[in-house]
Amino acid sequence: MIFSMLTQVRHVLARLRAMVAVSVVILLAGCSANPIYQTTGIVLSNYSESEATPYVMQMSDPRMACALGEGTDALMYSFSRIIDAPDSTGSLLMLLAGNCMEYRAWEAELDYLRAEYHGNVPAAKDAREMSKRLYAITAERRYEAYQRAMAAYDFDPAAEPMECPFLFTDQDELTFLLGLLTGLQAIVNDANSGALAGVPRNIAPRAERAAQCVDNEKWGGLPNAVRALVWLLIPDTRPELSPDPWVVLENSAEMGVKAGIRASHAVQVVASETFGRPDVLASTIAEFAETEEQIDVWDTYRLVDHVARSVVTFSSDKHWTRNYGHRTPASFFGKMTAERDTSNVETMSLDGLL
Amino acid sequence: MIRNSLAALTLAVAAPLASAQTVSMCVFDVIGANGDVFNMVKDYALEMKAHGVDFELKPYTDEGVAVGDFNAGQCDAVAATDIRIRPFNRFTGSISAVGALPTYDDLKTLLATLAQPKAASLMKENGYEVLGIVPAGAGYLFVNDRGIDTAGELAGKRVATLDYQKDAIHMVNYVKATVVPSDITNFAGKFNNGSVDTAYAPAFAYEALELYKGIGDKGGIVDYPLAQLTIQVVARDDVLEDGLAQKAREVAWGMYPQAMNLIDTQEKAIPDGQWIRIPDKDITGYQEMFRENRLEMRDGVNGAPDVYHPKMLSLLSKIRCASNPGASECTAENRE
Repeated sequence: MIFSMLTQVRHVLARLRAMVAVSVVILLAGCSANPIYQTTGIVLSNYSESEATPYVMQMSDPRMACALGEGTDALMYSFSRIIDAPDSTGSLLMLLAGNCMEYRAWEAELDYLRAEYHGNVPAAKDAREMSKRLYAITAERRYEAYQRAMAAYDFDPAAEPMECPFLFTDQDELTFLLGLLTGLQAIVNDANSGALAGVPRNIAPRAERAAQCVDNEKWGGLPNAVRALVWLLIPDTRPELSPDPWVVLENSAEMGVKAGIRASHAVQVVASETFGRPDVLASTIAEFAETEEQIDVWDTYRLVDHVARSVVTFSSDKHWTRNYGHRTPASFFGKMTAERDTSNVETMSLDGLL
Repeated sequence: MIRNSLAALTLAVAAPLASAQTVSMCVFDVIGANGDVFNMVKDYALEMKAHGVDFELKPYTDEGVAVGDFNAGQCDAVAATDIRIRPFNRFTGSISAVGALPTYDDLKTLLATLAQPKAASLMKENGYEVLGIVPAGAGYLFVNDRGIDTAGELAGKRVATLDYQKDAIHMVNYVKATVVPSDITNFAGKFNNGSVDTAYAPAFAYEALELYKGIGDKGGIVDYPLAQLTIQVVARDDVLEDGLAQKAREVAWGMYPQAMNLIDTQEKAIPDGQWIRIPDKDITGYQEMFRENRLEMRDGVNGAPDVYHPKMLSLLSKIRCASNPGASECTAENRE
């Protein structure tokens, strides 16, 4: 008897549980999004900004960092469907994903130069076509990263007069600054793709203005390097009393070494390639190589310095491949020719042995 | 015995397998080696490599310096806009004659015609030879007031005018506007800060040079091609033998679709609302106005500079009349 009553109570409780579960499901179905998703999105977004980003910024492996960007951007940014778009983290992830695609484009470009060196025109054309396609995707990703960086700080780059965004932390400042640089890179990538991506070219003058919102010295001269690059691209944007852009770039490169973040060197390299200054290119690569042993890299943003290194290395590789058919040999990084300086090295006479 | 080695050892460097003729080229692109034109010239150079010519490209952001270096013998060839090419070949330098090619279809016919082997003799002049022509986009009039939609409205307006472009200066004076001497690097700033009322440029400038700022709320872009700009490659006549020079022109013609894609993208980047459409009846009037001015600038009469080549004007007239046989100019007594 007691056993059958207990069984009945168990059945009633089970039904109640089922009813509660059904009610919760019905309740949730009425909401715009699953609150667990929302909570997860907010937690992930906050975690990324406060923990993951600083962790990644300290990494010294640009390839691994870019893989992270490619692998997690879609997951992270998909939360923009249910919470406010995580634009600051999303900007950095897309920036990293853009780097990944650029590394592939670089390889294709080196293939093109190597094939051209060997006079293999069909192979060169194939590789150039490949590099164009990859640069187009790079440009698209970078344009997206730029837009997210601007959106992250509610910054309207088209506003006249310009109003600088509120940047509360160092990480905010760097994310914003890298967003501007990424926008400029998107233009260069698009041009190298044969304008397949259609990146608006007015990013350049807008980046020039916005770069003034960030402290130049603190960020190793990068803001002024960005400005100087735009002055060279569009001379109209250069303020009347500003110094020569090449002097500004040199100054920025020096500041970068002092700050332990050599992104300005990468900008200087791009400028010297763009404007046909092989003398500046050679000296910039040489200076970069010289600072390798001396520089005290800013630990917090080690990744930026390493990404800059990959840009400078690629530039050197392009020069070597164009002229010698292969990349820069490790011991020649910093040099533009294959000459070894072996003067004043003592040698022994072999007379007695022969 | 110890001795010092004074010689610098050199790594063995394998020479490229194919031995090609090396030709240095000064290439003008407003944004240098990462610009659209420079990248197109890279494709041209790669195609030419298959024909045994190895172009070494050097970027220039100042067109005057690029042409100056070519003149000084720093480069064997130069790629620049046809306005700068006029001193080397007046015939191809007249492609940008004012109002002479109102459509891209007409331009296509022209460039196909000039790429034929039959046209080779016209590509040589004064010891120079044209090695290729690709479109750079039509030049349009940018105005700060949509009221400036007729030639008459231009009277008294300030126009940013390239100071080395004699035909443009003549046209600005003809419509009784004021020439404000400018160059490629500063015309946009003048338009954007209001120191001129109008400027002319290809669609490329709208976004890159932020010409929408000068347009503001009241201005626009007159939807009528004032001239067809082209990028032309010119070399000293002895640089390439005739067969190769012809091949080079055919390679450049093969790049027409690529160049037009680029121009199309640039023109589509301009919002539809910015274009100022001109009524057909006005267009007929402008065509005649431009034609009369071209005749004057062909003959150097009535104070006009002597800049256009009669054979090019004649060819352009034939092309226009083939696409629009009903035009009054086709039966005019003083046909070009």
